[in-house]
Amino acid sequence: MSSRQRVQQWATFARQWHIFDCKWQNPYESAIAIVKHLKGLHKPIYHPMNDCGDHVICINTKEIALPGNEWTKRAYFHHTGYPGGASWTLAWELHSKDPVMIMKKAIYRRLGNNLQRRYTMQRLHLFPDDNVPKELIENVTSQIRQLRVVPQRIDHIEKDVIDNYPKIMDYPTDYLPKTLK
Amino acid sequence: MVFLTAVNLIRSRGPDEWWRKRKIFKLAAYFYGRRRNCYSLAIRSVHRALVYATKSRQERKSDLAELWKQRITAGAAQHGIEYWQFMDGLHKNNIEINKKNLADLAAWEPASFESLAKISKDFVEKNRNK
Amino acid sequence: MNHSQFLVSGFLRAPIYNGIGRQINQLQRVTLKFCKSHGSSQGMRNFIENNLVDFAKQNDSVVLYVKPRRHRSPVIVAEYLNGDRKWMSCHNRPSEEILKWLSLLSLQAGDTEPIRYRKHWHTDVPSIQGPWNPFTHKNPGHIIAEYPHEGLGRVFKAPQSATEKLLKIAKKRNESENKKE
Repeated sequence: MSSRQRVQQWATFARQWHIFDCKWQNPYESAIAIVKHLKGLHKPIYHPMNDCGDHVICINTKEIALPGNEWTKRAYFHHTGYPGGASWTLAWELHSKDPVMIMKKAIYRRLGNNLQRRYTMQRLHLFPDDNVPKELIENVTSQIRQLRVVPQRIDHIEKDVIDNYPKIMDYPTDYLPKTLK
Repeated sequence: MVFLTAVNLIRSRGPDEWWRKRKIFKLAAYFYGRRRNCYSLAIRSVHRALVYATKSRQERKSDLAELWKQRITAGAAQHGIEYWQFMDGLHKNNIEINKKNLADLAAWEPASFESLAKISKDFVEKNRNK
Repeated sequence: MNHSQFLVSGFLRAPIYNGIGRQINQLQRVTLKFCKSHGSSQGMRNFIENNLVDFAKQNDSVVLYVKPRRHRSPVIVAEYLNGDRKWMSCHNRPSEEILKWLSLLSLQAGDTEPIRYRKHWHTDVPSIQGPWNPFTHKNPGHIIAEYPHEGLGRVFKAPQSATEKLLKIAKKRNESENKKE
């Protein structure tokens, strides 16, 4: 193999780093997009036995959004292995203990049950906020697009934008909402 | 002069049963443990292995088709187009390249694949509002 | 018997480069191991005593190592220019036979054991345009961008939200009212 072919091979199998912003994203939907990059399914050289998966950094996992009433209804099961060792943790409880865990479990489940799963998970880097170590963030060369639009919080909108918002009519000066009457 | 037939005659002694089992042991030669050497175990494993071989002849084809599809999907996605749009565009433009060769083009000749993707993309754009 | 189950797998190779410019002896190194006392090494010992120096003079491009190994059976290890390594037992072999085997090994271009071919064809130029690599279709601007990047991470072609629609209608109406005045 000539040195040119060797370098060509390094280029083809070069590991890429992607970043994904989990802000207001459904972890189970985003896991599909993240797993695609972790496994290397976005490359035309993909093969299940070909080590072409990429690294993915997930930031802002603290601000994920679960659909419907899943914060209070979704339970995460764990068993210590001893009799009576089963425990069920609700999503909101788990999230308050470790803000990374829900995202991690969603991706782990999406990877499917195979021997490669644990090694693929080593290429995933999760951060509860956007404080990523410099040595990781400087590797990143692309960003995975979000799947849902991030809604704007009303207390983050500037005051003059709210004041100048188009209105059909003004409330009367002595108006009181029903609840306050 | 070498008498090959005579040698064969000497070798082909023994009862028919021995030769019948020999055929099975030949197929079981690469098995592990007693399945290689005990006839009653070997015959079961050989039958199972032959069934697997028959089934996997079909499975191999579908496995490869799936792999090509994954590779074409990845190749097409780089040019912002989906798999079905890409294949449909090629088909409507009378470009008849099979999946195997498209997958090869995506990996080995990326510029040709880009041109193909462009053809499909133009077709999709043109027919968007129809 | 299905021989391919027992064969070592490999790729097609042709030593056509040898003989085009000049002949290069493909055998590079021979290691002879033997025991000084055991009967199985008798032939090897005789070979070393009587024929080895002549053989070395005739094949001056071959490096010869002679290694006494206590209570081991004699072996020849031949190493070739293409990286092949051929191991051969010479247990109870007479010296004449060892000489024949060695001269055969010195004429060969590598290990000639039959192999199972992974592919039945070979090409030195698998790609004309250059094989795909992660940077082939990549926008160079995306590689040097600062991550996390607001625009690159946003939803692709997000549908228009109700708020945006409302603002648009209001703007249109304002404009038409201003015109009337």
